[in-house]
Amino acid sequence: MSMTVYHGEPNGPSFTVLAALFETGVDAAMVHIDLAQGQRHELPCAQQAEVAMSVEGEGPVVVMDEEGMTDSVFIACYLDEVGKGGKLRPKDPYARWEMMTWCRQLIERTAPAAAYLGLSAHPRTVDAATLAKIGSVDLRARWQNAAAGLSAEDRLADSKMKIAQAINKIEAQLDGREWLMGEFSIADLESYAWLAGMVELLPSAFAERPRTADWMQRVRMRPAVAKALSLARQPAPAASWAPGPEINRWG
Amino acid sequence: MSDVTLYHWEPNANSGKPMLALMEKGVAFDSHYLDLLNFDQHKPDYLAVNPQGTIPAMRHGSRVLTESTAIMEYVDEAFAGPPLMPQDPRDRWRVRWWMKFMDQWLGPSFSMIGWNVFVGPAVRSKDPEELKTAVERIPLPERRTAWRKAIYGLFSEEELKESQRRVAVGIRMLEEALGRREWLASDRFSLADINGFNLGYALPLSQPKLSNDEMTPNILRWLRAIYARPMTKACWAMGRTPMVKRVAILEQQYIGKEPVT
Repeated sequence: MSMTVYHGEPNGPSFTVLAALFETGVDAAMVHIDLAQGQRHELPCAQQAEVAMSVEGEGPVVVMDEEGMTDSVFIACYLDEVGKGGKLRPKDPYARWEMMTWCRQLIERTAPAAAYLGLSAHPRTVDAATLAKIGSVDLRARWQNAAAGLSAEDRLADSKMKIAQAINKIEAQLDGREWLMGEFSIADLESYAWLAGMVELLPSAFAERPRTADWMQRVRMRPAVAKALSLARQPAPAASWAPGPEINRWG
Repeated sequence: MSDVTLYHWEPNANSGKPMLALMEKGVAFDSHYLDLLNFDQHKPDYLAVNPQGTIPAMRHGSRVLTESTAIMEYVDEAFAGPPLMPQDPRDRWRVRWWMKFMDQWLGPSFSMIGWNVFVGPAVRSKDPEELKTAVERIPLPERRTAWRKAIYGLFSEEELKESQRRVAVGIRMLEEALGRREWLASDRFSLADINGFNLGYALPLSQPKLSNDEMTPNILRWLRAIYARPMTKACWAMGRTPMVKRVAILEQQYIGKEPVT
């Protein structure tokens, strides 16, 4: 059984998966693809439901026995279960519930906001031929919106508010803690993944948040994280964005 | 008296997930029914349990847990009883993928339609002032928006159309997945099936043109197989509203293409 990881720049979901891969010591072939040019949709498994319809939007794909796996938090759980390296989830069921709930809320509220702000500041477009290959109608619509320019004032304001809320939550959570869940976990990777690129775009949200700044530095200092970041092909991987999860349709 | 208390509404959507998971696991719990249509979930008694005012919530000892799918994973890990997650890590990944897909993509579309046709009309006849106060008491801004839309019938044609499109796509995806495997995410009954049943138990009634024995035989086989489980029957018997009684449609041997009455 061999594993191949198709990943983009080490930012957002690709960051989580690459760092989790190195943290857990799982052996895999790695293929760098340009998620921001829609290259995921060229993969042989692109039309498989679990790839085409991933709620995460443009993220990495792990292929095992021709089956494509998506959604970075769940890939990280998988790597944690098959890996022989360090553990990325607490053992205690309650602590695990806390971690999964943390990630779920981050994916639902913070990730769409970060992707919107990131793509608004660093616009990317895909050509018509690639657009036609995108299996999910709503993901295609997010690409089309991105091509038109993401500048809706209400969306920008709402996204900035959600990033600021996430930073506040992290700052509070880190009171007396080195890592978000006490022990280092997927929650640290996934939170860093979506917020690293916000430091430059929304410096005010990070002002006077010393615990958050120290925590981000601690994340970067981990050898597995440093290795993931070293795979960047651009000078600033945290400026690399593609359409992420959609903004909650229920409001 | 159990050390587990579940605060829930009907065996339907989010509330039904931990209800059925606890029952399949064989965990005794005290049932605390909250009437969603009476806004019980936004009253001080419950806000003391879950300040966000979302249903369900589960108390285990001195701890309170929220988020239905995460509660289910907790139930599976924290208690003895038959495992509700497969052993194989890739199967486990698939269970989680499908639950997220249903929770965040397909479920909200079903829910929007359900709130538009069932929840909204069910509360609309209440005193307008009482409704206004009830909405203002909702802690989460997103839930306030959703309730306003349901109560005053403010869902736009465009968003309802998009929800209906997603329901159709989701039904096709479920049918395809269940054509490949006996259960939704692996070859054994799991949390993904509990999650999916809560979403789709009344599919042949709510979407008769898209889901029936002719068009989606695998979905119908799957729904009937889950309904045949003693715990599912016991769980749905806890329902009090006509909405939940619709599960009886699954007792029919064959549901053809013609809309059922």
